[in-house]
Amino acid sequence: MLDTYREVVTPEGVALHLPAAGPVPRALAWAIDLAIRIAVLVVASMVLALLGTAGFGPYAVLMFVVFWFYPVLFEVLDRGRTPGKRALGLRVIAANGAPVGWLAAFTRNLLRTVDMLPFGYATGLVASLTDPWGRRLGDMVAGTLVVHDARPHEPQAAPVGAALAPAVPLRPHEQAALVAFAERGPQLTQERQVELADIAEPLVQARGPLAVARLYGIANWLLGRRG
Amino acid sequence: MRQEIFVRRHQAEWVALEQWLDARGDSARKARAHRRDWHGLADHEMPARYRRLCQQLALARRRGYSAVVTERLQQLMQRGHSVLYRTPAPRWRRAVEFVLAGFPRLVRAEKGVMLAAMLLFVLPLVAMYTAIQIQPDLSSALYDPVQLAGFEDMYDPNDPQRALGRDNGTDVAMFGFYIWNNISIGFKVFASGMLVGLGPILALANEGIRAGAVAGHLQAVGHGDPFWRFVCGHAAFELTAIVIAGGAGLRLGLNLIAPGQRRRIDALVEGGRRGALLSVGVLVMLLVAAFIEAFWSSIGWMPATVKYSVAAVLWSAVFVWLLAGGRNRRHAESSP
Repeated sequence: MLDTYREVVTPEGVALHLPAAGPVPRALAWAIDLAIRIAVLVVASMVLALLGTAGFGPYAVLMFVVFWFYPVLFEVLDRGRTPGKRALGLRVIAANGAPVGWLAAFTRNLLRTVDMLPFGYATGLVASLTDPWGRRLGDMVAGTLVVHDARPHEPQAAPVGAALAPAVPLRPHEQAALVAFAERGPQLTQERQVELADIAEPLVQARGPLAVARLYGIANWLLGRRG
Repeated sequence: MRQEIFVRRHQAEWVALEQWLDARGDSARKARAHRRDWHGLADHEMPARYRRLCQQLALARRRGYSAVVTERLQQLMQRGHSVLYRTPAPRWRRAVEFVLAGFPRLVRAEKGVMLAAMLLFVLPLVAMYTAIQIQPDLSSALYDPVQLAGFEDMYDPNDPQRALGRDNGTDVAMFGFYIWNNISIGFKVFASGMLVGLGPILALANEGIRAGAVAGHLQAVGHGDPFWRFVCGHAAFELTAIVIAGGAGLRLGLNLIAPGQRRRIDALVEGGRRGALLSVGVLVMLLVAAFIEAFWSSIGWMPATVKYSVAAVLWSAVFVWLLAGGRNRRHAESSP
């Protein structure tokens, strides 16, 4: 329940990484959508009030569309994002990782009726707290999932420098750790880099900035930058 | 192979795929419109390139390449996946086919729950109606006198000028109101099936009792003629639609209680899929019903014979449609 990270293996045999979203960002997204919906209805009611009693007909139709189909339309046409979800960086997808289709979007929003019971989405909250992927009942029935969008941060390539062969053969996880250090090190302060590099003293036979430089060198060698 | 060499070797492919996704991955319609202006990776090559990328990603993970490579390939892969596995755009032809053939087939496939829903609705209705004919005071147990007076007013036989079945409001206003009110009820009746089927049972019985009480009361006080002239037409679509919504809800509830040989979640997904399809049909039926109710049923001066003949046509049409629709199609798939 604590690990909301879901991996779905695609037909091609690679894993999709789906970080499931919890109730709080979803509730916030819902609140934003609610505000937008109310704003639309208020504006429409002011315009349609000019038509007198006949204006009630279009208004009721609009109310129907906004109540039942606002999320469906946005989730299908805007790749799983209502404006609220977009603001919170959330997205609805099918449980197999594919984009959500019309029928699934319709189902999950029909079932809101039950998730709202008995008040304030209590049923949905309980369901999403007990489900490993934070799904409310509507998501389970529709076979959908709300996930966080991929974070925009791009991993930086390690700075290019002179390659240095390590004195001893390194095991795979050690190699991965060194490359990760080289890629993330430039974002750290000098002091922190030194502090981390000192841990690798037995490998580089040095301390301080020299150890940092040697670690970068080994990382370059591991990446295959042999000059 | 070292990471840098791997990247150098495949970089061009990744960039080509990335450009294709940027330019043509968004919407199929836009991609079709601009197909002549595109000179990058050909569309038909995309699936093969995507699979190649998946293989390269698996390889990169296996060899423990760093996040710079794996994250990039992972993102490309997820973007490719969502393009390749997106649901096809709905087609108008398919929608018409569904309404004419798929929906009646689906209703017939769920015969059992549909019959159960019908009984749950019709039995209380008939029982209540009959009871009020015998004991007219019963209606005041369900409605307070103000409401009853309101009903009597709506179907007053001594006021031939008034539009039937409404307090006030124009045809258009009532059309909007019926859409908002009735379709919402239909959707809720289906969705409440998730409450282990109790929702539709209570809703259908409740609707049956209330409708039976109103009909029985109006008949008993002598306002029956305008009332029947009002309801006979749109009831064909409205009552049938509510029963179908109830049946869909019962199916969902039953799948939750007794999933059979499937996992409960799979049974629920299947019940939800069928229920949502049925709800689409219910939506169409209730739109038709709202139209009839607002623009035809309320016409007060129309002689009873015309009203009843039209109602007979509508009722037969609904039953022919539901019982025979989609039977003659040889290529009918088991599931629409």
